[in-house]
Amino acid sequence: MKLKDKGLSALAIAAGIVFLSPVLYSIWMSFQTAQSYYTGGFEPTLGNYATAIGQYNFARYLFNSLLVSGLVTIAGLAVATTAAFAFARFDFKGRDLLFGLVVATLMIPSHITLIPNYLTLARAGLLDTYAGLVLPAISNGFAAFFLRQYIRGIPKALDEAAYMDGATPLQVLWRVIVPISRPAIFSMGLYIFLGEWNNYIWPLVAVGKQDLYTLQLGLARLYSINPGEGLIDWPLVMAASTITILPVLFGFFLVERHLVRGITMGAVK
Amino acid sequence: MSAVDLIDIRKSYANGSPVLHGLSMQIQAGEFIVIVGPSGCGKSTLLRLIAGLERADSGEIRIGEQRANDLPPQHRDIAMIFQNYALYPHMSVRENIAFGLELRGMAKAERNARADSVAHTLQLTPYLDRKPAALSGGQRQRVAMGRAMARETSIFLMDEPLSNLDNALRIAMRTEIKELHRQLGATMVYVTHDQTEALSLADRIAVMKDGHLLQFDTPEAIYDRPAHRFVAGFLGAPPMNFLPSERVPGALGGKEITIGLRPEHLKVRTGEPQGKGLPVRILLSEMTGATVILHCESDAGRLTLNCARSEVPPPSAALWVEYDLSKALYFDAAGRLVNLS
Ligand SMILES: Nc1ncnc2c1ncn2[C@@H]1O[C@H](COP(=O)(O)OP(=O)(O)OP(=O)(O)O)[C@@H](O)[C@H]1O
Ligand SMILES: [Mg+2]
Repeated sequence: MKLKDKGLSALAIAAGIVFLSPVLYSIWMSFQTAQSYYTGGFEPTLGNYATAIGQYNFARYLFNSLLVSGLVTIAGLAVATTAAFAFARFDFKGRDLLFGLVVATLMIPSHITLIPNYLTLARAGLLDTYAGLVLPAISNGFAAFFLRQYIRGIPKALDEAAYMDGATPLQVLWRVIVPISRPAIFSMGLYIFLGEWNNYIWPLVAVGKQDLYTLQLGLARLYSINPGEGLIDWPLVMAASTITILPVLFGFFLVERHLVRGITMGAVK
Repeated sequence: MSAVDLIDIRKSYANGSPVLHGLSMQIQAGEFIVIVGPSGCGKSTLLRLIAGLERADSGEIRIGEQRANDLPPQHRDIAMIFQNYALYPHMSVRENIAFGLELRGMAKAERNARADSVAHTLQLTPYLDRKPAALSGGQRQRVAMGRAMARETSIFLMDEPLSNLDNALRIAMRTEIKELHRQLGATMVYVTHDQTEALSLADRIAVMKDGHLLQFDTPEAIYDRPAHRFVAGFLGAPPMNFLPSERVPGALGGKEITIGLRPEHLKVRTGEPQGKGLPVRILLSEMTGATVILHCESDAGRLTLNCARSEVPPPSAALWVEYDLSKALYFDAAGRLVNLS
């Protein structure tokens, strides 16, 4: 390793530590008792995790979050990818207008759609259901926009070759476009998943039953649990936060190697 | 039976000027058609229309006697080699070749066996498991060819399939294509810039220019009786010599008539002209192997001719060129062949 590279690595590690330190600190905090936290000692314990899972139902919230975010991601990617393919590759009446509308949705703050969405779901009888959590989040204008740009960068000759090989449009999408767009699709998947994982407002509005709480709702509720007058049980909150963060970190490492890298090299002259 | 029938096809692209101006062409089943023409004259566009990748503005395309204007490419059952290869970058060479077979529901073992045998023919066996990014240009081109060859279909469209190969490989592949044509009895439409390829492969050659079909005939007819001055100059190497008829002693025709003389019908002589001939001066001689190409200047204009190496005249000699007027062709001012004899 050259000296310059060493310097760069050191810099990267230092920056990493700066970004990570609050997270590391909260993880460390989650392993001590509330007692010792407020009195200044350090008394290691797994009790906070036991309480979060046993008493406050965090295993269920974790399941709910995984289920809802997972479904939103899969359904959202399916919709965004097919829409992007259509916008990128087919000539149809009103295409540019429609695409303009999709882009325009990016400019609407999500809070404005909150109440109309609520009323729609209420009328459909979908409040307090998983469907009510998932459905409004499926359409994602940004993902459609981003994937369309990516697909436009793939030589159209590849689609044409596949059609000559006998593929239907859906086969072209699934066998040619999707594998080549994998880095972009994984990036968007991560983006959608994180957005939904951290979503607080919509579950708060759409769900009343505790059985349907997501981690974010459960986490917010913990703030009202006091170990003493005017105090918040921070170690318990941090244990719950750790439960909230770790699956995401783990998931990121799983998909990370798919994120970057273009693979159209060698397709055409 | 005609395999492909093009009737008065017009095509222009969205933004540009027209590319094909009412082109008609009837291709018989099992024929090997070679399309030649200068760059940008619409050869690829014509192939794409037959393939169904572009729609004609007007006119009719018939494939196997059926109107096909509205038939999408995946239902035409045509194999095509793209000018820019268009290999699937995420698939290995084997998967690239077998993809069309897979889409048609062929079992894995069978299609892989077929892909392997095609790869063997194309000398691609060592690369079967590589991705296109790890291949040279010539290897990619052969994969593109393999993809079409693996398909046992009745119509093949090939857009300059050998342009990137070295000479030995090109000759070998030319034989393979001819063999494939014989074996399958398929109809082939083949675009090339290479005259030798055109003359040696074609049952009939279509010469295009600026979106028009100038002549569509057998190689012999195209070579011996070119319908247009452009065709005469386009095929044959070195190209035909064109001189103003009135300045060539003994030539027929008058003003505005051009005489065309193939280099092989000219002979260079030393000494004083006997009978009909043109005094010339050698500007340049080009060694090509057994023969030498002489570029000469005469009063009537420049001339190119072939000469056996042993017969190259000494540089200082007074020279003249003898020509065989019975082989000469005459063209009018618009470039059309005229019959004067
Ligand atoms: N997608 C397109 N949009 C607009 N114009 C196009 C398009 N494709 C081709 N053209 C134009 O149409 C004309 C014919 O193109 P085409 O590719 O058929 O030529 P070609 O004979 O195959 O040339 P080459 O020998 O260089 O491959 C050219 O003038 C080209 O600029
Ligand atoms: Mg072309």
